[in-house]
Amino acid sequence: MNPIDDDILQAYVDGELDAAARARVEAALAQDDALARRVRQARALGAQLRDAFDPVLEEPVPARLSALLQPGVAPATSRAVESGRVARVARHRTPRRWLMPGAALAASVALLAAGLWWWNAGDGVVRMRNGVPYAAGVLDRALDRALASEPDAQAPVAIGLSFRADDGHICRTFTVRTPPERAGLACRSTAGWALPVLGPAVPPEGGELRQAASGLPPAVQAAVDARLRGDVFDAEQERAARAAGWH
Amino acid sequence: MHSSDAVREGLIALLPRLRRLARALAGQAADADDLVQVVLERALARSAQWRPDAALDKWVFAIARNAWRDELRARGRAQHLFAPEEAGDTVADGSETRHVRQLEVAEALAMLPPDHREVVALVLVEGLSYDEAAALLDVPVGTVTSRLARARAALQAHLGSDA
Repeated sequence: MNPIDDDILQAYVDGELDAAARARVEAALAQDDALARRVRQARALGAQLRDAFDPVLEEPVPARLSALLQPGVAPATSRAVESGRVARVARHRTPRRWLMPGAALAASVALLAAGLWWWNAGDGVVRMRNGVPYAAGVLDRALDRALASEPDAQAPVAIGLSFRADDGHICRTFTVRTPPERAGLACRSTAGWALPVLGPAVPPEGGELRQAASGLPPAVQAAVDARLRGDVFDAEQERAARAAGWH
Repeated sequence: MHSSDAVREGLIALLPRLRRLARALAGQAADADDLVQVVLERALARSAQWRPDAALDKWVFAIARNAWRDELRARGRAQHLFAPEEAGDTVADGSETRHVRQLEVAEALAMLPPDHREVVALVLVEGLSYDEAAALLDVPVGTVTSRLARARAALQAHLGSDA
């Protein structure tokens, strides 16, 4: 039988051997205490490394990172990114290197920044999951159950319009009436109601009335316009969508 | 779905692992998240280059590794950790002891040459196979295993891991 060399032993610890080679190592380990000790040491080192770094997986993702992955945020120009050095990245603010096709997007980014502040205020209507904000608490329940066609003036959350987005998911606009008042867009995914846009609510203005969405911040309106494929749901479609679990 | 949307959604799911890899490479949390920010921007800017039949995590990890190398070059020196002495001032209850151990591991890792640190980060922290790490680093598998063996020996000597 060939001796178990260092490469084989390391490959054994790292799970790189096939069954036959593994069995050969295990037979040798049963006979050789020194070999077995080296395997234990290598495994202990692996455990130390995992203990040191796995907790990162559970840490909340900083808002400045999750904000980069919000839908509707234009990517930075590749030239700026390729020349950008890590050390020059500014912390604690949204990077400036956005492409801005229009004022709506600018408003969207501003609203997002404000929204991040609101999320941090954290009164239980938003939870972060893998760096993405999702509806929680009364907001989650309202999005699941409330119908715009049956408005309840006392409810903590008012639903605006519902529609099927161009990616096939159902989205609903909403206003949280309890202070701090917020408005936003929620889109249904398997993980819950994701919140691509959320920011402070604005009082309805006398100008442009637009169905149930009047009074929505321009960034929410822009997010709706960017996703809307057909028509917004009427009362019957909204009810049917609820019955189908918003799928 | 546009490739940029697919990449963006994949990055959202990948973000916790990307932060873990960055922490293993860069050491300090703030430096690591700066690195993650650059990686996200690069990945989004280059999303057209990603092919859906390629694993997004390997593609993004390669961007991360290259961005980290760029940063090391730009700084012209190895990064230094701080704070172990601060940690030593705190009361050593269970969580603090664990925190100190984490700092020791990060410090030991920071002492490795970059060639070794990235292999440890990819294989031992992120769990990539030797083949995957070799492909990502564009080196032969034998280079991965020899760097890993030397890195292990150095880490064990520094950390005194006993069994």
